[in-house]
Amino acid sequence: MNDKQTSLFNTIENYYKDYGVRAKELAREGKKFIGYVCSFVPLEIITAAGCIPFRVRGNIYEPISKGDTLLETIVCPYYRSVFDLSVKGKYDFLSGLVIPHGCDSMVRSYSAWMYSLPYSYFHFLNIPTVCVESSFEFFNAELNTFRKSMEKFAGKAITEEDLAKAIRVHNENRDKVRNLYEFRKANPPLISGTELTMALTVGSSLPIGESNDLFDQILVEIRRREKSPLKKGPRLLMDGACLDNIELIKLVEELGGNVVADTICNGARDYFPRTDEGENPIDALGRRYLDKINCPKTYRENKTGTFEGDMASRFGDIGAYAKEFGIEGAILYIYKYCDPFGFEVPARKAYYQSIHVPLLHLEDVYSAGTIGQLRTRIQAFLEMIG
Amino acid sequence: MAIVLGVDIGSAASKGIALNDQGTLGSYECPSGGDFKLTAERIKKELLSQAGKSENDISRTVATGYGSNRVTFADEVKPDIVCIAKGISSLLPSVRTVIDVGDLYTKVLRIDGNGSVHNFLLSGKCAGGSGRILQVIAKVLHVRVEEIGELSLKSKKRVEFNTGCAVFAESEAISRLSQEVKKEDLLAGIHRALAAQIDSLTERMGVEQDMAMVGGGARDAGLVQAFKEIRGHDILVPEKPHMIAALGAAIIAMENLGIPQ
Repeated sequence: MNDKQTSLFNTIENYYKDYGVRAKELAREGKKFIGYVCSFVPLEIITAAGCIPFRVRGNIYEPISKGDTLLETIVCPYYRSVFDLSVKGKYDFLSGLVIPHGCDSMVRSYSAWMYSLPYSYFHFLNIPTVCVESSFEFFNAELNTFRKSMEKFAGKAITEEDLAKAIRVHNENRDKVRNLYEFRKANPPLISGTELTMALTVGSSLPIGESNDLFDQILVEIRRREKSPLKKGPRLLMDGACLDNIELIKLVEELGGNVVADTICNGARDYFPRTDEGENPIDALGRRYLDKINCPKTYRENKTGTFEGDMASRFGDIGAYAKEFGIEGAILYIYKYCDPFGFEVPARKAYYQSIHVPLLHLEDVYSAGTIGQLRTRIQAFLEMIG
Repeated sequence: MAIVLGVDIGSAASKGIALNDQGTLGSYECPSGGDFKLTAERIKKELLSQAGKSENDISRTVATGYGSNRVTFADEVKPDIVCIAKGISSLLPSVRTVIDVGDLYTKVLRIDGNGSVHNFLLSGKCAGGSGRILQVIAKVLHVRVEEIGELSLKSKKRVEFNTGCAVFAESEAISRLSQEVKKEDLLAGIHRALAAQIDSLTERMGVEQDMAMVGGGARDAGLVQAFKEIRGHDILVPEKPHMIAALGAAIIAMENLGIPQ
């Protein structure tokens, strides 16, 4: 890397390590940040209200302590870590928090967040668990309720034009990320999985305009790159829920793998689906968040009547990424107690087998303490497929 | 001719093998202890002495196992899964499913006749399903771990254990002892419980015959017997099952030098 690249990635690393530092600065100037914890929160509505969405994240190096006195440990460790940091005051600069029905843990713990945190605004967003015609009608009404609630909090009306503008700027953000993914197609990739995950994590802590600027700068720098930061190795897809820390991907890349694609929440699951422009914005948002985000939380009816057909409609995106990014193996990374993903493991395994992509299934707690155990498994997997 | 070394530093026991193109020149095992680097040096010294060779005669060393990165004189470090596959294939080429019962994990491997791994599965992150429980129970009963296999085979009335957790099993064993249950019946119960856990792992991996059991756990006749009973078919056990990863590491070292085995 040249000096300019080094300084850009140093800035990203600083924002990553001191997560929320920029938001804190802006909050002191009076900007209103609204925290969210899952990909199902329509960021466009927060932006249209003149507020700034901020993805709250956990910390695998911080033992869960205070959080466990307020929340039972039957909840997934990722979510517990996010909650723990929040109740310890890490995100006290937030003005509010939106929790969607992303999984049962989110629904059941909503009141615990409300009682335990000092924010002035809370909203629970009900998301249908199925995806049929009536679901869209229901979900659009939910989106309008959320819109009204944000209007009340922000003290301003959210016009159709505000929504259209917000949709445009968030789509721009997604397009830039899609362009960054293009650089993963080189062999070895021109951007490492570690760099990209760090950048995307940081991006979701910044105002959307600053996030767009940051991704533009990264695009400029990567275009200038002549050499990959990685040695050529097995090309891997990271499959799973939210990976808001770089440690696992970093470990895989240190052991010689090239992480070049993913389905994770702060990756392709979040950034690949665009919101349609030029039509009723609430309808378009309804379609994006309910149908286009492919998450095991949503039950999709098997219209084919066969197991294979069901697999293809639920996991077809994995097969498509496998082709597009030249995947040679995948890691399915699941948090303990994550019900939506946990139930799907056998079906996902069957799907990987059907597309002839070797799979390593890892179940983990959200803690840096398990890195050694992961290393043993990843080393053997890379050796096996290498 | 020069020799190669395969060194396997496990979480409980460390093993080493010295080979040349004529065959095995030395073989050594010892507890891993707290200083893996020192243990590795000790193994090297012992193997050289058995082989009647000096340090300069070592052409290549491949290290494996939990503490492999502390084998500072190794030319290469290989995952133990790869070494186990290589080692067992050299001795029992018909084997397609390998169960390695170690102190830290139990591993199930699917391999081909050339010693390449096709898939693998490890037991969970806690000690449940690993060989650790055998050491724990030996300590509780005040018998040597080497003796528990034969003792277990004498059981006429196996105790049923309801837990696969090593910690719970220990407290359950202590409470059963207070009810004057015989040692052999207790051991047979522990072996059955561990074998059932290993069987569940094996089923999840999927089985192709022949099946072999290796690792320190495979030296325990009681465990092998319990596993055979649950599986309902024969399980191959090589002569020194705990040395398989070290042997595989040494074979890989030979292959690296282009010497066929």
